[in-house]
Amino acid sequence: MDKPDQRLFDADVASVDFRAGALKGYWGLAGADGLAEQPAWPSRILWIAAAPREKAPDRYYVQLDLSGYRTDAPTGTFWNPNSKATLEFGLRPKGRPGSRVAMVFRTDWENGRAFYHPYDRVAAKGHADWPRDQPSLIWDSDHTIVHYLEEIHSLLNSGDYVGL
Amino acid sequence: MVGEELELFIHSQGVKPKVAMARPHETLREVLVRTEVLKEGHDDLLVFVGEWEEALNEGDEIEEGEDRHDAVDINLTVEVLELHRHRHIHVHKCKRVAVEVNFNGRTKRHRFSPATTVGVVTRWARKRFKLEGAAGAEYVLQICKTTKQPRPSEHLGELVEPSVCAICFDLVKEITPQG
Repeated sequence: MDKPDQRLFDADVASVDFRAGALKGYWGLAGADGLAEQPAWPSRILWIAAAPREKAPDRYYVQLDLSGYRTDAPTGTFWNPNSKATLEFGLRPKGRPGSRVAMVFRTDWENGRAFYHPYDRVAAKGHADWPRDQPSLIWDSDHTIVHYLEEIHSLLNSGDYVGL
Repeated sequence: MVGEELELFIHSQGVKPKVAMARPHETLREVLVRTEVLKEGHDDLLVFVGEWEEALNEGDEIEEGEDRHDAVDINLTVEVLELHRHRHIHVHKCKRVAVEVNFNGRTKRHRFSPATTVGVVTRWARKRFKLEGAAGAEYVLQICKTTKQPRPSEHLGELVEPSVCAICFDLVKEITPQG
């Protein structure tokens, strides 16, 4: 039988918010596009569409650890569908220096294993001041995978996203 | 799309949006009754389809503009209403949602369709306050007197309180994570 955190995640993937974004081509669970099957729970691989940039892909994959979902925030980083491993720094999306895009996707922190964003479990744990400075981005059990995906999608489609 | 089931997204006030499967020859009323969104005696509700973006084309000279999104006749079929194209259905008491956006001591107003996403209102506000381009992309809407920043894909109709057809936002700059 599926675990409660897995059941919650599966329900959110079937929700209007996730399905509507998937139909618009914003994101999806990796599957028919090359991944034979999803890794064992609590890991899941999803893709997120990116704005067109020269020599950059039109989507990026992320591998998320979803243990304790939704009580606990997801954590994870970019994933390489070819090597089936964490995406090399050189192939990760880049942002204009000093921008939110550059900070959230930084690789000079925690060896690039998590997103530098309040919705990421690893980043949030290390920054006790963030809830005070960014109260709108505190993860709680009312948040879903769609909040996480919308943040990453918004960054990958921002004018500050410069490609690779 | 003959006979094919279609995935529709039904939004109404105060409840989580629902996914519904519908066939082309069903009427929208049948779909809404089957999914328990519409009950007998709820004839005062308005039903809009699609996601409305008319405000993005509003001229700079227009103050306090209003969308022209009409409610649909729910006795028409899924096929006639072209729901394969629109997908989203909004069941609402408000014909329009009066939106105020504050920025830098100024306020802009527009009466939006309840089927407008927060993302569209944000783009409209950036345009009205001349904040377009990469720098403008860092400005987001926050509900007045709260720290709540609704997601871009949320619809105005889902955000307003059931008895109120208005909402106020501040346009604020997103904070870049530091430290």
